[in-house]
Amino acid sequence: MTAQQQHFVCVVCPIGCEIDVVHDGNRIISMEGSKCERSEEFVTQELVEPMRILTTTVRIEGARWAVVPVRTDKSVPRRLFPRIMRQLRGITLQAPINMLDVVVSDVLGTGADVIATRTMTRE
Amino acid sequence: MEADVAVIGSGPAGLTAAIHARRSGASRVVLLEREEELGGILKQCIHNGFGLEQFKQDYTGPEYAERLINELQHTDVQCLLNTLVTDLSPDRIITTLSPQHGALQIKARSIVLAMGCRERTRGSIGIPGTRPAGIFAAGVAQRFVNIDGYLPGRQAVILGSGDIGLIMARRLTLEGASVIGVYEIMSYPGGLKRNIVQCLNDFGIPLHLSHTVTDIRGRERVEAVVVSRVDDALNPVPGSQQVIQCDTLLLSVGLIPENELSRKAGIELSPDTGGPLTRETMETSVPGVFACGNVSTVFDLVDYVAQTGEAAGRCAARYAAGDLHQSRQPVDIVAGQNVRLLFPQRYGFQDDLVLFIRAAEPVENPVTVEVKPPGSKITRPYARPNEMLRVKVPMSKLTEIRQPIRVSIREK
Repeated sequence: MTAQQQHFVCVVCPIGCEIDVVHDGNRIISMEGSKCERSEEFVTQELVEPMRILTTTVRIEGARWAVVPVRTDKSVPRRLFPRIMRQLRGITLQAPINMLDVVVSDVLGTGADVIATRTMTRE
Repeated sequence: MEADVAVIGSGPAGLTAAIHARRSGASRVVLLEREEELGGILKQCIHNGFGLEQFKQDYTGPEYAERLINELQHTDVQCLLNTLVTDLSPDRIITTLSPQHGALQIKARSIVLAMGCRERTRGSIGIPGTRPAGIFAAGVAQRFVNIDGYLPGRQAVILGSGDIGLIMARRLTLEGASVIGVYEIMSYPGGLKRNIVQCLNDFGIPLHLSHTVTDIRGRERVEAVVVSRVDDALNPVPGSQQVIQCDTLLLSVGLIPENELSRKAGIELSPDTGGPLTRETMETSVPGVFACGNVSTVFDLVDYVAQTGEAAGRCAARYAAGDLHQSRQPVDIVAGQNVRLLFPQRYGFQDDLVLFIRAAEPVENPVTVEVKPPGSKITRPYARPNEMLRVKVPMSKLTEIRQPIRVSIREK
């Protein structure tokens, strides 16, 4: 594969470094604009498989509110978002729930757990 | 009821102010919240990216709030929930209404205003057309989805590229709605670049700069909106109209500091920020009344909000203890070249000066932020109107100053 140039905006932190990368599909030949190691890791991963934290909500019964916020406890492949959303739509939790409680463990075999991001008492 | 420090509002600014007022020695701290829970708007901001600077953690809004709430609950700060503040007087008497206490007056030695901000609505930007259901401020839609579990529509157009609009574009898409596009009247985006990437680009949602909504159609429910390109003077270009079928229009067209109470107390407001004119101690023009967070000026990051909350809580405790001296007349801090707004706007010789600066025009090359006097020059890699600059000038450099401090941004 011939060398190609690609432009990335790093989403690791709010600075949002703009990074120009020359790569041949597998290997990075050169990289410009990155201000830290984390953004270099980000671009390297982005070329292989974009990974993101998924944040959403899950239905809950017996709590003050209808839904409880959740997230994956580490990044998961972005392309799996629709499938994870479909799985979470089938779940109804029962209050009480504590922040960091596991809602789904090892979601779709990614090694990431879906965890609650707030505490909701039983009302 | 009497208090040393009374804090109004329990979002990130108010929670942080209450914690730090107590930590700085104020013994009777009371926190007033009109909703049934602490945490303010953080509870509906379920996305991550909070606290990266302050806690070195990538929290979601609810996690960030719960961390602060847990910290607060380890203190003896008294929290009054379901408590609406209806009046505030210049001699620091707060009138509240609540189901538990009825009408209750609180006499406070010092007060911290942390009421946050409100969204601008269709009325504030004057979009013509019919008045059907399906038009929401982006933050209202965010509450419906993230707390009440309702999806506000199936096919959405988003006007304005502020961060809440971008976050909602992703959120609606994840929940199965179709987001047709985000339209921004300015020639540059309103939100953070990382949100353009992870909320729009990641989901193939187009961003149309220099475009606005010029008509809304539909009787009972939104059926379509008309978008038009705008010229350099932001006027719609005739002939550029495009009809877009949709059932929902979200507005992410800016936030306004919420200062009804500040006005009642006679606090001087800044025409630039919409919030109280504030010193580096966060004290307003009314002695003993402090302000922090988005009630002062709309900040980009919760970390900045918390930083002002910490200063306000600390200085309010000092004031309550009679320990904040005002021997010298404060000097004004004024906007110079390429500065749209500044916070704080006065320097009172009590503390280091931490300035938050919003540029008027984007500069994509390295810039020098000049603070004169004392003549400090601070370099930054760029200046963008959607990303506040923060610079610090130590008190030791400022003690000799007599004239106003001018802040400018110049390309290097």
